[in-house]
Amino acid sequence: MEESKAHLGSEVFYDFGEMSCGELLMAPLKAMRPLPAGTLIEVRSLDPAAPIDIPAWCIMVGHELLMRARGPDNTYYLIRKGGPS
Amino acid sequence: MAKLLVSITNAKNDTDRATVGCVVANASVASGVETVIFLSTEGVRLAQEGYADDIHEEGFAPLKKLLTDFVDAGGNVWVCSPCFKKRGLDENKLVPGATIVGGAKAVEFLTTGAASMSY
Repeated sequence: MEESKAHLGSEVFYDFGEMSCGELLMAPLKAMRPLPAGTLIEVRSLDPAAPIDIPAWCIMVGHELLMRARGPDNTYYLIRKGGPS
Repeated sequence: MAKLLVSITNAKNDTDRATVGCVVANASVASGVETVIFLSTEGVRLAQEGYADDIHEEGFAPLKKLLTDFVDAGGNVWVCSPCFKKRGLDENKLVPGATIVGGAKAVEFLTTGAASMSY
């Protein structure tokens, strides 16, 4: 996981690269755990399944998916952290 | 809370199945689902300390990391007692978070609403 520059106006940016499936969910879970609820987080992913998995994950753990932006070979997600997850 | 039991019946005989089972279990526990990895038959070897250290399927995280992340995120690893004993494994050298259980424990979890997937 690489922390770099945000593009969508978030407070925190994570680049999860080619992580997929369980790794793509476990990585943000661990990274976001210490952050307070309400924090704006931007996630970048190269995984072709991310446009389906990330929104589903946000619903399950109570985060709010505010925005999706698609690049030529990756997608960005702006997420507001929900409860304790 | 939703519940899922991921049954893994393979180890080094089929590292692809063993690894993907762990990946799916990680997706489940990371999604706030009460998740159990149930190791039985050959799968019980994954619960032996050191056994899985060299299992690393291409395109996936190493199996040891997957199991460690799973337990750290609140997942449970249940190990079939007779399967473990039959193979002469050492119950004093279980990986962190693993518990040896009988079939009743798995059945109880399933009959109280857990779905299951098998690898």
